Amino acid sequence: MAKQKITSSSTAEYFSKNLQQVGFSSPTKAVLTTLKEAVDNSLDACEEAGILPDISIRIEKVGTGTLKSTDLIRIKIDDNGPGLEVEDVTKVFGEYLASSKFGKGRCSRGQQGIGISAATTWAQLTSAKGVQVITKTAKMRQAVSTVVQVDIKNNKGVLQDKKTVAWDRPSGVSVEFLIDGRLQLQGEGGLLTYLTGTALVNPHLTLRYKIGDNPVEKVERVSKECPGIPEATEPHPHTMKLGEFIAHSHLFGRVTVAAWLKRGFSRVTDNTIDDLVKAGIKKSFFEQSIDKTSETEFKTLFSKLQEATLMAPSTKSVITIGEEAFSKSVRRLGEVDFFSVVTRRPAICDFKPVAVEVAVARLKNPLAKTAGEDETPATVLRFANRVPLQFDKAACAMVKAIESVNWRTYGIQQPKNGIPVGPYVIAVSLVSPFIKFKNASKETVDASDELVEEFRRAIIQAGQRLSRHIRREDRAEDLENKIRHIEQFCPILVDCLCRITKSPAKRKELATQGLVKLLGRDVRVAEKQLEEAVEDHKKAQKEGKIQIVDSEVVDPKKKLKPARREKMA
Amino acid sequence: MSSNDSIPHLSQKLCLRLLTDLEHARRPVLEAVKCSLDNAEYNFKVGYLTPGSKKVRTELNVSSVQKMSRAIFLLEILLRNLETGAVNTKRELYYISKGEIKHDPALKPLDFADQNESDSIIDFICEMLECYREELNCFANDRGGQTYSQQLVVTETMPDGDTAVVDLSSLGTSPFQPKNRPQSLKLKVKKKVDFCLVVESEGTANTFVANGFCKRNSCILMGAQGVPSNAVRGWCKLIQDQLKVPIYFFGDLDAYTIQNIYRTLKAGSAASLIRNSDYSAPDVKFLGVLPEDIKKYDLSDYPVKENDVQEARALKKAQDALKNDPFFKDKKNKGVTQLLDWLLKNKRRCEQQSLFTVDPRDPTMPEKIIVEKIKRGIFL
Repeated sequence: MAKQKITSSSTAEYFSKNLQQVGFSSPTKAVLTTLKEAVDNSLDACEEAGILPDISIRIEKVGTGTLKSTDLIRIKIDDNGPGLEVEDVTKVFGEYLASSKFGKGRCSRGQQGIGISAATTWAQLTSAKGVQVITKTAKMRQAVSTVVQVDIKNNKGVLQDKKTVAWDRPSGVSVEFLIDGRLQLQGEGGLLTYLTGTALVNPHLTLRYKIGDNPVEKVERVSKECPGIPEATEPHPHTMKLGEFIAHSHLFGRVTVAAWLKRGFSRVTDNTIDDLVKAGIKKSFFEQSIDKTSETEFKTLFSKLQEATLMAPSTKSVITIGEEAFSKSVRRLGEVDFFSVVTRRPAICDFKPVAVEVAVARLKNPLAKTAGEDETPATVLRFANRVPLQFDKAACAMVKAIESVNWRTYGIQQPKNGIPVGPYVIAVSLVSPFIKFKNASKETVDASDELVEEFRRAIIQAGQRLSRHIRREDRAEDLENKIRHIEQFCPILVDCLCRITKSPAKRKELATQGLVKLLGRDVRVAEKQLEEAVEDHKKAQKEGKIQIVDSEVVDPKKKLKPARREKMA
Repeated sequence: MSSNDSIPHLSQKLCLRLLTDLEHARRPVLEAVKCSLDNAEYNFKVGYLTPGSKKVRTELNVSSVQKMSRAIFLLEILLRNLETGAVNTKRELYYISKGEIKHDPALKPLDFADQNESDSIIDFICEMLECYREELNCFANDRGGQTYSQQLVVTETMPDGDTAVVDLSSLGTSPFQPKNRPQSLKLKVKKKVDFCLVVESEGTANTFVANGFCKRNSCILMGAQGVPSNAVRGWCKLIQDQLKVPIYFFGDLDAYTIQNIYRTLKAGSAASLIRNSDYSAPDVKFLGVLPEDIKKYDLSDYPVKENDVQEARALKKAQDALKNDPFFKDKKNKGVTQLLDWLLKNKRRCEQQSLFTVDPRDPTMPEKIIVEKIKRGIFL
């Protein structure tokens, strides 16, 4: 066999040949991923700078694509963020794995610094043009406009046509991609589904968008609080592998082992070190410099640390949307009838801090309109660190949790072990600095038992809250049905009986009176049940456990004809 | 049936009771026989499944007022039919009720969304009055029971009192089709009939006739066409009672045939507890195919496919039947019970047509085997 030359390739080369792994697997997904990456970056930048985000989006067809059955699509996203320094523009848009957030243990949308560079690569590969960027920071007098290309061979960004331009805003970034793709508005992978979801979990966002020939839409912010930047946390020893553990020590230079353990990890204290001494490690070892520690010593320390009892990792690094802001945001989904929102306390799942929030809303006009709406499954919106997840729903931990809940007990129809049906929206949001995704394009959250259980608990709480309204509705409907039954069937039954028995009118009158009296007793029982349900419902509303958008409750008794009401009384 | 027991009289009594209860503001209660296996009793001497003491009670309340109103409304239509002698199918009654509602808007709340709703009300009326639908002039489509004989003569009394006489020997290879209410038929034979053979498959029964079965044997030959309809069940009962000839059933050797077809023909079913007395023929014997026939005639049999949904369901039902069905629990029916047990244990099945493998060149071989089995008493 002839000897083959082994060559190495750059990260950019790898991703340019494997763009399908990061969300560019089809023309429709290419448009969505490009939009998503740009919006994620804008939101992260605004939140970091404490600015309430104001994002404008314009997506339009401008010609025929170079690839088979594609269009040439222009995607333009403007934000009012802090803007980028010119030297950072090349790194952000033209260099893979260049990130300000990588490995920081924070709940930001972007993490690795792949997404937007991949979008630039896609634009470059399909339209032979990089991304057009306009940036302005508060310090800059004028904005800078430039085109960024990826130097694929060397994984570097290259600036072209750099010039200064006047811009009517204090700071911000505007990006414009020209790519091959196709527009899909509705459905799981639709652009509008993405924008609706993004608005739902970002109540502080004002969004303007125009897609294709559709008119401009504006979604106003419902919260003026910019989410705080969660604290970065040090890694927890129980979440690490030996190699990571040793590599972690190299970041600390010449410090003692004890100092490294206490500063470099969360939940390691003096008491932990005492426990490790008791477990057989010499006390003097903790006073020696970390750079003099041998591999064998690291191995022993690592294994003893794994056996030690440590507090669970801190949950300070996760910040939720909050029930109040989430509640306001839910109303932006459409004409919401009523809804319940649950924000769980941050918890530890698989040794990682997580926070789960769930909103369940009933819509007057369902998002997914199909024939036989009652049979249509509820719309499930999934979010990870406030980013909508739109693909590969079935394998996601959130969907598994929704399916495992018995929705029938809350008065919502559900096929066996399936997603409940009806005009409902179930939004599940996960915030965590370490979300375990199933794939590089971050479309599905891996389903560990602990995480599914955490989702399940939140969903059950939301379902229980919702059921109090549904129960009240059922009771009211029941009472209405009973009253209607008396009105409708009493005369028919008595008429038929009298015809068969050839009875005189006097008997007919007596029988009618008797029947109304009899059935009136049943109605009074139903009335009492309704009163109880209404009381319970009022209590739930007072406690803020359920929110009714259209709170007009018609008293079913008022529907009775006066004569009947008198008789029943 | 005396006039006091007649359907119109019973209905009148029922409606009067309801009306009186209403006048006194008492809750009327309707009682109906519970037609299910847990209320089925079997006595070998009686020969068929009879209803136990369990009743389904429907008390008038706001939830049941719709059902009760619908029942009385349909009862009125059925009583009118009885008065005029008109007959209808369940489907026709569904449309008649829709027509009534169309012409009287006040009746709109009674409207049936589909036929299932009106069917269940008709069944409820039957259970309440302890009668069967044919007694209310509500007939089903006649299915199965195509009969051939050189000896049998049937006299039918028509609703208008006229009679029709049908000599089955004059029909050639055309069969006689019994009606759903065979009680109006009178049977007589021109010459002594040795036996009546009920074949599960209509096609095989036709083959036997075409090959001269009825010419060589003084018999009545009938095709059951699967699970016996009311017509087949009533017709067998009539042959048994009026002609007093031995009746043999010949069908597949599998759990479905024994449990659903043969049991229903012989002892009726749990769903029709009220009518089993007129719609079962307790003297019917199971002629085959029997497990010993497989061995003796080297018949082609094959294993039950447990991954086949239908066959797996039949096996499960057979297991339940052995545990819960009073017919199979009765010691006097040990033979059939053992046969069902054998089928469950061995999980094999053999079709009636397998007799054609014995001598493929002799079309009369199945007939010879059947006649031999009858002569030598090889049946259950």
